[in-house]
Amino acid sequence: MGEMVVSTTPGAELVAIGLGSCIGLVLTDLRLGIAGLAHIVLPDSMGKPGPVAKFANLAVPALIEKLLAAGAERRHLQAVLIGGAQMFITGSTMEIGVRNTLAVRDALGGAGIPIFSEDVGGSSGRTARVVIGRDVSSQAVGGPRLSLLSPGQPARPSRGAVGGRLTSARDLAGDYTATALTCAAALLLCGSIRL
Amino acid sequence: MSASYTETQLDALRELANIASGTAATSLSQMLGHQVDMNVPMATAVPLAGAVELIGDPADVVTAIILTVTGDITAVVVLLVHPTGVKTLSTLLGVESGTEVGDSALGEIGNIIGASYLNAISTMTGLALAPSTPTLISDLLGAIVESTLAATVAEEENVLIVDSQLQLPGESCEITFMLLPQQNGASNLLAPLGLAIGEV
Repeated sequence: MGEMVVSTTPGAELVAIGLGSCIGLVLTDLRLGIAGLAHIVLPDSMGKPGPVAKFANLAVPALIEKLLAAGAERRHLQAVLIGGAQMFITGSTMEIGVRNTLAVRDALGGAGIPIFSEDVGGSSGRTARVVIGRDVSSQAVGGPRLSLLSPGQPARPSRGAVGGRLTSARDLAGDYTATALTCAAALLLCGSIRL
Repeated sequence: MSASYTETQLDALRELANIASGTAATSLSQMLGHQVDMNVPMATAVPLAGAVELIGDPADVVTAIILTVTGDITAVVVLLVHPTGVKTLSTLLGVESGTEVGDSALGEIGNIIGASYLNAISTMTGLALAPSTPTLISDLLGAIVESTLAATVAEEENVLIVDSQLQLPGESCEITFMLLPQQNGASNLLAPLGLAIGEV
């Protein structure tokens, strides 16, 4: 939780096991085979101290910097979001997953990084797995492993509004993520209404 | 701003947890008609990065019974049971695990353990503590624990975890019992013992 790692080693695995309301944010430059994973816990640091990867508003710029330092090219960076679930029905917990998702999208939008695909929302925990140069996937308990990004899939950057990004992500990512994207769209709708 | 805990304060929390889990073990034993043992509780303040692993393997699928505590302190009580433990508890209670009745019985175990634990803490500290009705979920231990932490204490630099284990000797059933007081919760727990927390 609140950790961040970048790798350039082909075939190396970056894993975040058991993401609940947290977000596993993957940023990757597929061309160069560089990827990073941040385990984001809360939407906004609001000036509090702590590891930067803990808060969406700090984690996104920090992960971008770390990838650039490892040699990635900013214009080729693409994002995948995994997690942001609502694990419990009671209390304020329910809000955190949604708020995390929206905060990460916002920060990515602000940095001009396109979202390639997402597996967010719902009420199940997920494990995020990045195999450098090969694949980004998400898996819930008892569920199939969803491939969310791989070099075979055509990359097409889109930098519009949040809604625009989701539409293009649907084109790109295919049937597997359609369900996830529906959830994401629903989340987005909730978010828009609240905002 | 972050809370820091001295060894004396952590010792005091351990002792509170020790007495409270003893009471909880007795209640559970009466409910199940089976001996219940407990280990020495742990009270630790750790950085968020290693917090989940301290509780267990994040990849394990577990059933969690969660109670939120309000009143003089705000806290969350989480009970974690592995699938074999759930089967054992269900058998002892004469219900089928995975059914509505089975879930309800497990929730009741959460109620009994949580209420007796909190009552014991109330008696020792004079604090009024009210547990919510239990919420039951089965998922990855990592997802359950991190979401609970995120909702309660994650804003702190170090999270305070008070953790006990109840065991049924002769059965493969272990109940991990976790108390997560929010920052004001920990200070308020310690204040009646004359060990209030200072800000660093």
